[in-house]
Amino acid sequence: MEQLLTANVATNLYWLGRYLERIEATLLQIISAYDCIIDVDKEAGVKLYKTLGVDLEYNNAQEFLCNSILGDHSANLNVLMGYARENTIISRNYINMEAFGEIIALHALFGNMSKSHMMIDYKFIDHAQSLISEIWGQFSKRELRKYSDYFLRLGKLVEEADYHFRFDKDKEVAMVIVDEIHTILGILSTDKDMQSKQTQEQSINHEDIMDTIHKKIESLIVN
Amino acid sequence: MLEKETELHKKFWEIFSKQDRQKIDEFQTYMDKFAVNFNLYKDGNFIERSLPFDVIPRIISKTEFNKIEKGLQQRVTALNLFLEDLYTDAKIVKAGIVPQEFVHQAKGYLKEFVGFSPSQKIRTHINGIDLVKDTVNDEWVILEDNLRVPSGSSYPLSIRDTYRKIYPDFFESLKIAPIKEYPSYIEEAMNYVNCGGINVVLTPGRFNAAYYEHSYLAEKVGAQLVRSHELVVVDKKLYFKNYNGKLVRVGAVYRRLDDEFIDPTFFNPESLIGVPGLVEAYLAGNVALMNAIGNGVADDKGIYYFVPKMIQYYLGEEPILKNAPTYLPYFEEDMKYIFDNIEKLVIKDVAEAGGYGVLFGHTMTTLQLEDLKAIIKANPRRFIAQELIEFYDEQCYLNKELHNRKADFRAYVVMGKDVKVWQCGLTRYALEAGNYLVNSSQGGGFKDTWVMEL
Repeated sequence: MEQLLTANVATNLYWLGRYLERIEATLLQIISAYDCIIDVDKEAGVKLYKTLGVDLEYNNAQEFLCNSILGDHSANLNVLMGYARENTIISRNYINMEAFGEIIALHALFGNMSKSHMMIDYKFIDHAQSLISEIWGQFSKRELRKYSDYFLRLGKLVEEADYHFRFDKDKEVAMVIVDEIHTILGILSTDKDMQSKQTQEQSINHEDIMDTIHKKIESLIVN
Repeated sequence: MLEKETELHKKFWEIFSKQDRQKIDEFQTYMDKFAVNFNLYKDGNFIERSLPFDVIPRIISKTEFNKIEKGLQQRVTALNLFLEDLYTDAKIVKAGIVPQEFVHQAKGYLKEFVGFSPSQKIRTHINGIDLVKDTVNDEWVILEDNLRVPSGSSYPLSIRDTYRKIYPDFFESLKIAPIKEYPSYIEEAMNYVNCGGINVVLTPGRFNAAYYEHSYLAEKVGAQLVRSHELVVVDKKLYFKNYNGKLVRVGAVYRRLDDEFIDPTFFNPESLIGVPGLVEAYLAGNVALMNAIGNGVADDKGIYYFVPKMIQYYLGEEPILKNAPTYLPYFEEDMKYIFDNIEKLVIKDVAEAGGYGVLFGHTMTTLQLEDLKAIIKANPRRFIAQELIEFYDEQCYLNKELHNRKADFRAYVVMGKDVKVWQCGLTRYALEAGNYLVNSSQGGGFKDTWVMEL
């Protein structure tokens, strides 16, 4: 049965999915780069953040952790977590209560770290990752998915697809994700065009694929 | 001064003495984790904060609460009849019981709504009635009626769930009235007055002080939480705008914003949080508003004076619950009494709320009192004076010690097909010793309220 949702809630759920996925994926990349910086490639962090459009500077692996997570740039995870918290507060009625609590806790974790003089370490990242895993786990508990769940998942998948394309990951996996995005768009839309899966996308470039997806989402949510 | 300890209190303290007090901190953890907030604006900054909570509940015996319940049902029934009468036949004014001039000068009186009768003739759907227990007569006294947008019910609702998890012993061993049914009272009332369509809760938005409550109640009541621009009026009917642009008819609105902001085409044109055309849809009988527009007249502290007379006039009964002794400077005789006794009275501005506009004579200098007299004389309708009620303190566990604090009690009364009184409420305590102002907006905290029997 169709679930009523305001455009505001739908948008906030979508962005909540995106921000959480972005934070999780970024943390994974940071750990991988951190490992390289120690004794393989000092520039691994610079290269990673170049892909994200950020010129990152650091002197050692430890400083990379701090500057990548809390540095003064557009990929600052504390800032992203602040956005995710806002999305959560606005859409709280559609979110599992435990997941809500974990998101607030995750925000507090980043917030406290940004205020403290302690250095970010592996333990902090582990803690953040385990909270994110718990959040996803709480979201996936519902047996029967509602529209609100689909908006959240849509955000997560769009971010995943973007990540795969941006970092040139497995193309087949990326196309499976794109396929699922279209399935969800079909569920959430009454528009017949939106319901078709557009397999021809496999033959066009990734930027065009993402551009098409973004346009469809824009037309899906009527403000 | 504390209320005399009863068997119920003894039972509570007996169990409390065996509890792990370290766990008290878990209440704050819970409120932080689930953002159970009452927000503030301070120096232009938006501050998200949880309401201070005290673990020692206010205990009211079932027998005592039964009397409160009957008194509140009587009072709200009379107030609803008053409002309906006032905006239609105005018999109470014609009978000379409430002076016409007095009504017309009330800030919340809206003459544009004269002649309109809302769905099911119900105007006072959700009411917060503030009471204190007087130490002199050992009885409950009504301090204030809030018939517009009373807030606060979500806090005891939220905390009770937590209390049961942290300290289940109390709920296993004592007969404490359950409180979960409150949202169903609201839902039933909404369905009863619904004019065809879905139910919504209209919030000013994310940055309102009570946004948590709006969100919480919408979920529990099964209504959509909406902001003004997520509603639209077409052909005098109100619609909810779904994310895909589809319009869904709305039959009842539990609005959490004041009359003056509700419709910029009718009231304040500057309002950004209202729904254009909503009043037109309401007047056409196509949507119910909870609470009704124009209820502010009954919240006027001057009109409060007449509530016992309303009960006698409409119901032919004596009031079960008394008002605090109140004087209206509007009447010559009362003005003289006020001026002769001003240093021991509490002076209230009739149109203020939330603990604002309250002056305690005993805290003012002679010069200040003379100034106040001049202000009252210049505008007698603007003020009321009340005897200072010495109300009981409640024990609060603050900084790991027990302290006495003044505490009032906001009871919630919901009117649908029947008038229902929630067997809980918001007990608010002052943060400082001796302070009589307990309002949340004045920094006060809250307690759970247990209606108990042996």
